[in-house]
Amino acid sequence: MNLFRSEEHLARWLGGREPGATMPVGALSALAHLWWDDRVSPDWVPHTRDGNQAILDRIGLAGAFWQLPPA
Amino acid sequence: MDPGDLDLRRRTYGHMVETGRPPRADELGDPEEVRAGWRRLHDEHALVLNPATDEIRMLNPFSAVPSAWRVHARGRWWYANCAWDAFGVCACLHVDGRIESSCADCGEPVAVEVRDARPSDEGLLFHVLVPAAHWWDDIVFT
Repeated sequence: MNLFRSEEHLARWLGGREPGATMPVGALSALAHLWWDDRVSPDWVPHTRDGNQAILDRIGLAGAFWQLPPA
Repeated sequence: MDPGDLDLRRRTYGHMVETGRPPRADELGDPEEVRAGWRRLHDEHALVLNPATDEIRMLNPFSAVPSAWRVHARGRWWYANCAWDAFGVCACLHVDGRIESSCADCGEPVAVEVRDARPSDEGLLFHVLVPAAHWWDDIVFT
């Protein structure tokens, strides 16, 4: 899970490998703030698989690549 | 999750947030009992242990070992496990921060200020190589 300066840099790094998924860093920050918000809270309880999938959905991360494994 | 393990996890994360480093087992109680609890939490993906030592490797989003992802937040520097986790440090502490790393391709430094959950440089790209279904197959690689 890396950062790149541009699409050109990402393509060079992939070197012909199949790409995974790419998003602007603004979307990453939004995702991270939903995903990690409660992580150090004393009241934290484990996220459910469906709850985590709903976070991905809220950011618009759909499709087979973003499907979490079954619980 | 077992209530005792949930409490152990709470105390483990609490130590990390207060001191900037993960606890040793003997700082949280009987070392063997703590390590056994940590192993159960590891199996439930609630933390990540070094398999060779049973010491903490990740308290996601924090890294317990130096990494390429440094985050300045709440008055100290933290290590994160990846780009996602770097933003996660600011997110879980509920503070602004500064992320320092490098472009994975060219190695040029990248620095991102996070203010009110928004990054200062919107031009950077985030790439995930491993599909979500396989993140925990090898979480260190992911």
